[in-house]
Amino acid sequence: MTLMSYPVGGLLRLQEELDRFFGKPPFDLGLAGPNVFPNLNVFTDQDGLVVQAEVPGIKPEELHVHVENGRLTISGERKAAHADTSFHRRERRYGRFSRTIQLPRDLDTEKVQADLRNGLLTIRFPKHAAAKPRQIEVKAA
Amino acid sequence: MNTQELTPKEKQEVQGTEQVQPGRFFVPEVDIAEDADGLWLWADMPGVDPDKVSVELEDGVLTIDGDVSLKPYEGLTPVYSEYRVGNFLRRFNLPQHTYDPDRITAKLVDGVLEIRIPKAEKAKPRRVAVSAA
Repeated sequence: MTLMSYPVGGLLRLQEELDRFFGKPPFDLGLAGPNVFPNLNVFTDQDGLVVQAEVPGIKPEELHVHVENGRLTISGERKAAHADTSFHRRERRYGRFSRTIQLPRDLDTEKVQADLRNGLLTIRFPKHAAAKPRQIEVKAA
Repeated sequence: MNTQELTPKEKQEVQGTEQVQPGRFFVPEVDIAEDADGLWLWADMPGVDPDKVSVELEDGVLTIDGDVSLKPYEGLTPVYSEYRVGNFLRRFNLPQHTYDPDRITAKLVDGVLEIRIPKAEKAKPRRVAVSAA
């Protein structure tokens, strides 16, 4: 199923789709589960698996994405700026973080791509060619 | 060295407003600071494109509003979710006549909205010279 790019209904549809999967892992998250920063949303697309995380205020050079032995680790530090200022409100959180999840086995972790845009991290793992669905031609005898 | 661990926080939905568009709005987390010349405000708005954010000060109410881009979700089917995705909206009451609505500047960098709200000239502290009698 593909999300509509229709501007008005699109967001509501996305929110409803995400709600259906809220907090229900379809695969083993491995070492560190939820309640470790950053929270993750996981999707599939036609090529494989897509992992997203919201990491506002973190520069690409302060964010580390590491894949080893079928595990994905996202780590870094969100640094507190303007420490010398007097604050009326301080709701945004700062500090170091590291989160590791176990990836499904059918992904080609050599071909991972990570992209950080507007504070949204998107990591794409294509499936191994052998794990991709194929249409098999049926021949007449 | 700061070794504090960053922890995740669940997004809070905006309460008490009616929207025309379908879809839920969330409350962006903010830091607000003040210096001699005005206010600084930083709001986390991940996933919002810089041209989809609006900042407005009218009748002493500061409204910040950002529409999340749906482009990163094109062609994706969710299988697991730990955080919700939506637009951002928040309002603050500011003391009337203290700030200058015409000189507010804002920029959105790495998903963080930074707003500078300068004080109106008449509201700035002034040093009054006391002359000897």
